Amino acid sequence: MFDLLPHLLNGLTLGLLFALIALGFMLIVGLMEQINLAHGSLFALGAYVAMQLTGPRPPLPAELAKAWLALPLGWRYAATLVIAPVIVSLVGMLIELCMRRTYGKDPLYGLLLTFGAAMVIEEMIRLVWGTRDYVLQVPSAINGGFLFGDLIWSTYRFYAAGISAGVIGLVWLLIEKTSFGATVKAGAHDSEIVRALGINLSRLRLLVFVFGTMLAAIAGIIVAPIWGIRPHMGVDAVIPAFLVIVLGGVGSFWGAVVAGLLAGLCVGLAGAYASEWSLLSMYILLVAVVTFRARGLWGKKSVLEA
Amino acid sequence: MASVIGGTGSFFGPWRENHAWAQGAKPIKLGLTCDASGQYGNSGQDDFRGIKMAIDEINAKGGVLGRQVTFITADTETTPATGSRVAERFITREDCTILIGALHSGVANAITQVASKYGVIYMNTNSSAPSEAGENCSRVKFVWDGNGTNFSKASVKNAVDSIGKNWMLLTNDYVWGHTTSAATRTQVESAGGKILDNLLVPQNTRDFTAYLLKIQQAKPDVVATAVGGDDIKALREQVAQLKLDGKPAWINNQQDWPDVWGAPDSLFGVFGTTWYHKLPLPGVAEFVKKWQAANKDGPIPVPGNVSYNGYMSTRELLRAIERAGSTNNVKIIKELENLKVSATDRMQHFDAYMDPMTHQMQQAIYLARRNAKPADNTDLFEIISWTEPKSAADDAAPGKCKLTPYDQVPTVDS
Repeated sequence: MFDLLPHLLNGLTLGLLFALIALGFMLIVGLMEQINLAHGSLFALGAYVAMQLTGPRPPLPAELAKAWLALPLGWRYAATLVIAPVIVSLVGMLIELCMRRTYGKDPLYGLLLTFGAAMVIEEMIRLVWGTRDYVLQVPSAINGGFLFGDLIWSTYRFYAAGISAGVIGLVWLLIEKTSFGATVKAGAHDSEIVRALGINLSRLRLLVFVFGTMLAAIAGIIVAPIWGIRPHMGVDAVIPAFLVIVLGGVGSFWGAVVAGLLAGLCVGLAGAYASEWSLLSMYILLVAVVTFRARGLWGKKSVLEA
Repeated sequence: MASVIGGTGSFFGPWRENHAWAQGAKPIKLGLTCDASGQYGNSGQDDFRGIKMAIDEINAKGGVLGRQVTFITADTETTPATGSRVAERFITREDCTILIGALHSGVANAITQVASKYGVIYMNTNSSAPSEAGENCSRVKFVWDGNGTNFSKASVKNAVDSIGKNWMLLTNDYVWGHTTSAATRTQVESAGGKILDNLLVPQNTRDFTAYLLKIQQAKPDVVATAVGGDDIKALREQVAQLKLDGKPAWINNQQDWPDVWGAPDSLFGVFGTTWYHKLPLPGVAEFVKKWQAANKDGPIPVPGNVSYNGYMSTRELLRAIERAGSTNNVKIIKELENLKVSATDRMQHFDAYMDPMTHQMQQAIYLARRNAKPADNTDLFEIISWTEPKSAADDAAPGKCKLTPYDQVPTVDS
């Protein structure tokens, strides 16, 4: 049993990371009914922008760069955690503006557009930063390891899990406890009525997309020190994000969170006890769930089950 | 009517056995099967830089047999199916008569199958599964990198004697990982050590925490990894963060330079390589300068083992064509099978030779660790030993490799 506990804890922390990665993806699918295949590329872009800002050559005028670099890494990192998602959100804004012409049409158009955007962003990353790998510097306070239960654990991993839980909580508050969240949900449910109430639906959709993009960028920044930064890192993110929202049920906030945790537990436990099945285990979990419940764990009933 | 029949005959005829292109001053066209994306995308492009440098050098001297050398390249995406498709297209539609390039052994094996079908020579520059020169060898394929067995032979016995007998294996779950770990297991057990467990790592694993916890629980003396590409980079980050790089000891079978360059701070353990840009040998500094001139503003400032293997394999291929005085595939194969290169010419510590039984280049194998006192920001390795080819040779490979007789190889000419 004592052998098992570390792996359960590891699975839960990994699950929180999966949930964080899926959060922005889930919001855009759930609230806009658009599958954003550029989610992974925006995730990668967040990591790259953060790396550029915290690195030795920030893209700033000489004097400003000098002042910025004079700040302790902890301050720069904290500021980057806010600034980088804002910068990446401009790209998200551009994608949403392009997507407007696809609303109300065959969903395939939106899929193709975001798929194209993903490829453009990835190639742009290659052009700007090349194909080499980068490391995102993090403050020493959240780096290194600590001893717990006779094992060395990664401090950063627990920090990342904590941040993930915090962001998930904040997003829940925003969606469930604010008038903005209520309006967004109403817009997703019945756009005509919302428009008739005088609410600018276009602006609302833009805000949701931008918010989803910022969450993708935050996930990229948080996960980068564990996975490393490389041009195709977005592909590694979009696959678990897709799996988590399908497993949890499309549009379900808590479904995505629980699905993330379940996927993390599966991967963590399989990694320890049947290592060759570790990545495959979450796909087996997905197949097992959708075989008996096509809508996912907390999804709404759909034509799949009619 | 006769001409119609003749034309039809040559179109539908037995072209596998007689695949001849028009002779003359037309360029010799090479197909470069280098990854540009996927797990080995970064390394694939470094491979390409070395290959291109060798082609440019020979063209600057007037080409081969008075003919310029051209090339086409396409991303094999670190995917065997794509590698196979690219190879097929290069041979049948682009008229490439020689293929060069590989990192991933699964991709290399897929390309080998296509190349063997058409009799096209294939230079496997950088994939290092022992099976590439063993059960998956081919008369048309030549393997230029050291393989998992070579590196294990150079490192394991000493580590069992000096560090400890209890070992764990961490193995990428594909052909290179399996064959390399199998070689390590053999070496460990024959040196009196014991394998506690073999943890299989699926390709594209980014989070190694479960594995690292398991390793800590098992408390081995040594962990031997056969993990490559992006996976080893992620593993290195996580081991370094936990400061697990001291105990247990780590033997990382091979560290390709492009994998190291992106994250040098996480370099740990002892690892193998075939070349280093600061080897104190004649010609190395000049080669580095030439490479830098050819790759200005590249993502990596110095050549590493991957670019070196790309360069050496292409250079030796082009020299073999020159010596053969022909672009006939069998004549070139025979030249390559008899290849011997002096240590000076290879910029290594020992003379190297092509094993005619396995088609693997037998060369010096270096063991390295992170350099604690670098001379500059590229001086990341400290070379701690060099093993001569015969001591690191994969003795089992000749028994596993069955080469097709020459007369059963389809004829190819440029």
